[in-house]
Formats: sequence, C-alpha cells, structure tokens
Amino acid sequence: MATDRTLLELKAVSKSFGQTPVLETIDLAVRDGEFITILGPSGSGKTTILRMIGGFIEPTQGSILLDGQDITAVPINKRPFNTVFQDYALFPHMNVADNVGYGLKVRGVARAELKTRVGQALELVQLGQFALRYPAQLSGGQRQRVALARAIICQPRLILLDEPLAALDVELRRQMQSFLKDIQREIKTTFLFVTHDQEEAIAMADRICVMNSGRIQQLGSPHEVYYRPRTEFVARFFGDNNLVEGKLAAIEGRYRRIETALGSLLCATEGQPELTEAPAGRRAFAVFRPEAISLEAPRDGNANHMPGTVATVSFGGASTVAAVHLSSGSGVRQVRVKMPSQVGGARIGAGDRITLNWSADACRLVLA
Amino acid sequence: MPPSAGLERRVAGLPVKSTGEDAVRRLAAVAAYGLPMVFILVPLATFLVYSFFWVDHTEMHYDVSLLNYRRFFAEETFLRVFRQTCLLCLEVSFLTILFAYPVAYFLAGLTGRKKYVLVMMLLVPLLMSYIIKIYAIRSILGGNGFLNRALLATHLIDEPLTIFVFNLNAVLLTLTVLLIPFAILPIFLSLERIPRNLLEASADLGASNWQTFTRVIAPLSLPGVIAASTFVFVLAIGDFLTPQMVGGQSGFTFGRIIYSQFGAAFNWPFGAALSVILAIIVILAIAIGARFGSKQGIAL
Repeated sequence: MATDRTLLELKAVSKSFGQTPVLETIDLAVRDGEFITILGPSGSGKTTILRMIGGFIEPTQGSILLDGQDITAVPINKRPFNTVFQDYALFPHMNVADNVGYGLKVRGVARAELKTRVGQALELVQLGQFALRYPAQLSGGQRQRVALARAIICQPRLILLDEPLAALDVELRRQMQSFLKDIQREIKTTFLFVTHDQEEAIAMADRICVMNSGRIQQLGSPHEVYYRPRTEFVARFFGDNNLVEGKLAAIEGRYRRIETALGSLLCATEGQPELTEAPAGRRAFAVFRPEAISLEAPRDGNANHMPGTVATVSFGGASTVAAVHLSSGSGVRQVRVKMPSQVGGARIGAGDRITLNWSADACRLVLA
Repeated sequence: MPPSAGLERRVAGLPVKSTGEDAVRRLAAVAAYGLPMVFILVPLATFLVYSFFWVDHTEMHYDVSLLNYRRFFAEETFLRVFRQTCLLCLEVSFLTILFAYPVAYFLAGLTGRKKYVLVMMLLVPLLMSYIIKIYAIRSILGGNGFLNRALLATHLIDEPLTIFVFNLNAVLLTLTVLLIPFAILPIFLSLERIPRNLLEASADLGASNWQTFTRVIAPLSLPGVIAASTFVFVLAIGDFLTPQMVGGQSGFTFGRIIYSQFGAAFNWPFGAALSVILAIIVILAIAIGARFGSKQGIAL
C-alpha cells in the first residue's frame, strides 16, 4: 500500500552529458510503497532518472536522498535498489535458479536459505518448473519474469523497471502489466517504472510523472494527468486530445471563459489556481477529449456547443472516431469525436451537419 | 518496354534473374569447396598414404606397412621428445594466456579510438617476418643480450646467464613472445562481446567488482581463453623454426624431428608418419577446444 511517507527524494538533480543537458533541475519525491511511473517520449530524460537512482550514472548536480539520507555518492552495489533491465540482462551462463539467486549469493547467504528463497521467488513469478533452464531456452515473457524474480529476491527498498515490457508483443504486454501490478501489491515494495507508453502508464501507475525534454511536465494520478493536463505537452501526449488555442477571458465561478477563433468556450478551472490567477488575454488552449463530446443536446446550461460538418467517420472496433470541421466564428478547425460503436453502424456520415456538445467540466485549460 | 517482351524479367533494363547466374553460382560453389580440398585435403591425404611406405637404405619401398608407426612407438627417444614437446606447448599456452589476459582486459577496458589504435599496433608483429622476429628475440635472450645486460645492470647476477638461449627455456620464451598476439585477440573479442548491462546487473544485485569479475566476466570470457589456448597450442606444436633457431642442442622438439626426416635423414615416409601423428594431436586439441568452447558457448 502506498503511504504518504517519502522513501526516495531527488533534490535539484540535473544531468548533462558533456555540454548537452539531458535533465534540467528536477525535484521528485517517491512515496513508500507506491507504483510510480515515469512517462515520456525517447530522449525525455526518463531513463536518466532511473539510472541515477540506480547509481549507474552520477547526477551533475543535486542530491538523491533515501529515508532522508544522502546516497548520491553510494556505489551501485551498496544501494538497496534492484533493477529490471530493458533487455532483462540475464546472465547467459547461469540457469534460472542461479540467475535469481545471484544477489543472495554475492551477499554470502547460506546455501539452504538461498535455495528456499530462490524457490519462493520462482513460485511468486510462476516459474517453479523452469529453475534449471538457461535464459536462451526461455521465451521473452519468461525471461522478463526471471529478471523480476532476480530483482525482488534481495528485498530491495525500491525496484527500478526500465521499459521492461517494450520488447514484448501486445497481448503478452497486457498480461505482464497486470502481473507486475499483482506482484507489486503482493510484495508491497515501491516500484519505479519507466515507459514511453501512456496506456501502460495509466493502466499500472499509482502516480505518473510525465517528462519531456529533461523536465517534469506533470506529476499526478493517472486520472489527473489524463483529465487535468497542466501543460500543452501533457494535453497532447495522452491520446488524440482536441486542443483549441485562444485567449483567456472572464472568470465565471468555477469556470473560466476562453475566446478562440471558433468562438467562446467555457472551461473548468478547479484544482488549478494558476488558471484563475493568469491575467485575461493570456494565450491558452481549451482541451477537451474526443470521448467527452456528445451529439445529444445538452442537459445543463454550462455546456459548450458548436455546429460542424462531418469530414470522415472511421470505425475503430470498440469506438468510432469522426473528424468534424467546426466552422463557427472566424476560424475553421477539425476536432475528433469518439463515440461507442454500434451494431447498426455510425449514426452520422461524411457531409452531415451536426452540433457538438461538451460540458464545461469536461473542458480544461492549459496555459500556452 | 511492353511487359511481355522477351522471356526474362527486367527492371530498369537489367535482368532480374538471368540464366547465367546459376552457372556462376555453381562455379563459385565448386571453387569454395574444391580449392580447400585440392590444397589442404589432398596434400594431407598424400602424407597419410606416404606414411605407410617405407625406406630401406635410401631406397623407397612403395608397399603398405605399419613399420613407421611401429618405429615411433618402439623408440623411447621419439616418445620422449613427443611428450616433451606436448608439455612444452601446454606451458607455452599457459604462459601466453597468463600474459595475454591482462593485456586483453586492459584493451577491452579502454574507450574510443585509443582502444582500436592499440589493437592495430598489436597486429603489427603479425605482419613481420617470422624469422626476423626470432632473430630479434634471440638477440634479447643471448649472452650479451638485453635480458642479461638488464640483469647485470640491476646486480641481480654477476655474469651473463646461459639459461635463456639454445635450450628448451629459450624455445618456451620465444614461442610465448611470438604467439601472444594470437592469444590476446580472441580473449579481447570475447571480453568485448560481453554485454555491458550484464556488468551493471551484477553490480546492481550487490556484487563487488571482484565478484563481478569472477562470476560474470571470467566465465563469459572463457570461450575466448579456450580459443586462444587452442590457437597457441596448435601453432606452437607445429613450429620447427623457433626450436631450430633458439633451441640449440637440448631444445629438441617434435617439429625438428619431422624436419630432419625430410632433410638430413631423407626418410620421407617416416617423416610423413610423424606428421600424421602431429596432425592427430592438432585435430584432438582443436576438438577439445571446440567441445569446451561450445559447452561454454552461450547464445547471447
């Protein structure tokens, strides 16, 4: 269970390779027992964070604290963390049991205890009958589980996972996601999981730390980063969001109006004081998710609605996505509308003139 | 061009699949299999056949007998030199590995251009004439050589030592020095092939540097060590020039005996028989090396 106690803290940590900064000054606190995901595109600095925590690279500046103690200078093999590497990094000359027991063996754990604990770890990852196989004889998913067992057997304070599922195919990845989550619940250890896959992050994390170009863009629950993006990057990163640029206007209670080329939109601001503090006329984006848009007439007065023309309708399995040209006001803009698919086919077709409605609560603002 | 013109398929005017290609490929295959056959297997087979002939007072007898092989196993001198040579070559292998491993390890630890410049420099001696190298080493080991002078200068000895040249020690030292590059390269390559994240994983799991070396690096570079010792052993046991030039009277090796059979003794069939025995040892060494190498040979 995640607690509010801070396990690990990065304080004003930055990293440059030569003259190239890869990580701007960042602060990050990892809570004890949580599943925290660092999410970002490649080159965003997410792996750098993981490698600094693991001790594989040193921060250029700043310090890393474990339980309040500075561990910045502690070498890799003395840190109570274990890593699941992207390509597993299993020792090819050792069988599964020896791989898993490695961490205990180098600590000089007695043979009998080692055997019991290796057995337990292998049972935990459901690989009991594979103890004598070599890594080359295992499938990708099995290797993954060996790597996990090897990392958890030393009972580390924190397990670092560096895009561990990237090499697996979609189906296996889904299974491993819930498997990892189950294991994390069972052993009650803090997991720091690095990925570039938003869906994976949302499916697994207690908290997501979204990174871009060496900066933390947003840190929050999956629900928060999905529905209340704080930056344009986060708004664009999760799914095919609709962003409409405009200028901030009047505050109306919990809402704030934004004047866009398409007309005026009403957006929710709760939980984000920076949106009410920003001066009128400030450039911003109205952000609304494709699935939040409805074709039905609004039931309350706080809704945004705009007429448009359907450009394309594409069937995508569970949902159908329509691209709609909005042409109110002075601008033309295409937005995506996502609807649950129906047996009888979509209710709208290309060329239909429709009205889009979305509630002000489903419309957020990010400052440009 | 109309699509139906001609029988050949052409793209941009060039035949995609020509009839001549198969013939060329067949010719290449014949060359690839045929040339080694002609230039390696046929001479070896000739030797094998020759080893069953025999010589009586400079007269060749072209009838099959096991006389030569019987002679080898009957005479203590041959067996003793044979054993001595095998032992010497094992010592050479051991010594070269002892020197080559640290060098290879050092090279593998370097980064960037330095590493490849040094590896290239390591290859320079391989381009030099064998005989020149032996002369050079002989002058180092000789009575007035660098080694003795250095020892005299440091007052470790009072007069030049003669233990370094014209005996088996000289053969051992010279072969070791000559063959070190052949040992460094396979070890270096096997060290280079170890994925660096395995070392990170080892440290991550709490291993000290020494533990990482003994438990991960050493076993994973073992195939390279085995390849290196096989190389060195095979090259050393077949060598007759080095013992000839630095071995003197006492540094007698199997290679020299074979050499003398073709020269001084003029007994080609016996020389051929001894060569076959040597070839068997070489094949055995390679087989053992391959066996151990593949046992450790891990699909990375």
